[in-house]
Amino acid sequence: MSGYQEPFFTRGPSPLARLTFFSLAAITIMIADHRFQALSWVRLGVSVALNPIEQGLAMPGMTARRISNYFTDQTRLVTENRELQNQVLELTALGQQARLIQAERTHIDALAVTVAASKRLDWPGIIAEIIRDARNPYARKIILNRGTTHGITAGVAVIDGSGVVGQVTAVGLLSSEVTLSTEKDQPVPVMVVRNGLRAVAVGNGREGTIDVPFMPLGADIQSGDILVTSGIDGTYPAGLSVATVVQVEKNPAFPFAKVIAQPATAPDHHRFVKVLLRASPTAVGAVEAGTAATDYPITDVVSIERKTGVATITNLGKRETRRANQ
Amino acid sequence: MDLSPASRDALSLPAPKRLVVSSLAIALLLNLLPWGGWALRAHPDFLLLVLLYWAAHEVRSIGQGWGFFFGLMMDVANSVLLGQHALTYVVAIFLVQLLRVRILQLTVFEQALHIGVVLLLSLVISVLLNLSLGRDFPGWGLLFAPFFGALLWPLVTWLAKLPMFRRRLGQLVR
Repeated sequence: MSGYQEPFFTRGPSPLARLTFFSLAAITIMIADHRFQALSWVRLGVSVALNPIEQGLAMPGMTARRISNYFTDQTRLVTENRELQNQVLELTALGQQARLIQAERTHIDALAVTVAASKRLDWPGIIAEIIRDARNPYARKIILNRGTTHGITAGVAVIDGSGVVGQVTAVGLLSSEVTLSTEKDQPVPVMVVRNGLRAVAVGNGREGTIDVPFMPLGADIQSGDILVTSGIDGTYPAGLSVATVVQVEKNPAFPFAKVIAQPATAPDHHRFVKVLLRASPTAVGAVEAGTAATDYPITDVVSIERKTGVATITNLGKRETRRANQ
Repeated sequence: MDLSPASRDALSLPAPKRLVVSSLAIALLLNLLPWGGWALRAHPDFLLLVLLYWAAHEVRSIGQGWGFFFGLMMDVANSVLLGQHALTYVVAIFLVQLLRVRILQLTVFEQALHIGVVLLLSLVISVLLNLSLGRDFPGWGLLFAPFFGALLWPLVTWLAKLPMFRRRLGQLVR
């Protein structure tokens, strides 16, 4: 019995003392994580240990999905194939036009000595597979099967075939977590294709819609306008589809118009996305120089300063958008 | 340790360490399953449930420190604000430590009611925390989690007391 003899009375600090200690520790950690983003190394470490386990647990579901994909019926494949071929044709046409435009541009740039602007399209990227949704009921995020070992860093942009998906907000060794651009307070600097009007598209937490706040009542924006990234933040290269405006409400009672847009992508429909790796600093600078050089009517509604996940909308109301993480 | 006659665990043998560790590992694995959609909100927190079970029955081995540790692990795994699960786990374990003398006198189903309330309180803390951070309320489906957790309590109790887990220790001690 001696080996199992326990001390007869509990020793050490009382439960209340322990509660105080651990709660304070937890709150300190929360502040460190939320305010200063100081604990990403803890995340990285723990995720290294947990990642293989999670992969193993997700395996049966993935296998089932692959098997069901394997047995999809012929007709679906045929229609899908036809659609893809049509897309290829369209894209080839667009690609040739783009090449022409770029060639012209290089020519002009050579004259104007802003050669760097032609590097706008040089954004390296890697293809990643969506493994699963993050288990976070408060914010929808997706997990990709590529991480720091593949060169992904926090803050880089993620796109798919039809446009912007979101931004990487946390990375592990072999996986990374993407916050969707439809997520609450997740900003994307955009511009209206029709007239070059700049704005910021901000997610509202509901899938299928995106808000465009701070549009003055007189702004030239209407239903059906296509919003693409403006490239002024250096996170998203210019020209990627973000959303299409579906509703514009101009009520004189409010200083700003209420603009609602429909996102270009729905990540539920895809299994693969492209992660745009950080371009070299010169290229990013070039993007900014390039957009500033265009003769669009720049309304100067918003200027955005973005580090990884922090955006400040300076000119209007000094509204600070909360960190996109979590 | 209290020696009130009603506390049925007071003079019983401590549970084998192996049982404590493996049950926590299994609960962690259940939590790490790729929950999504409706099940994401409604699934009970298996890890917290098992932690509460051991906090009630094995005061010496499982306490708030383990809750804190496993909480941080769940924070990373669920990619939420670091420290959030840690706080709710620690508070829930503290409540069970306060109530354990009373809880252990009751039948398993009455215990489940108490555990349900404790789980609900820890849920309320995490919801308030997230609302204060500017998140939206994710829906009333969340309330199913403590409910299902309470329903699982009798099962956890039954599993942990199965003779197959206890026999080996009995033989060792003789």
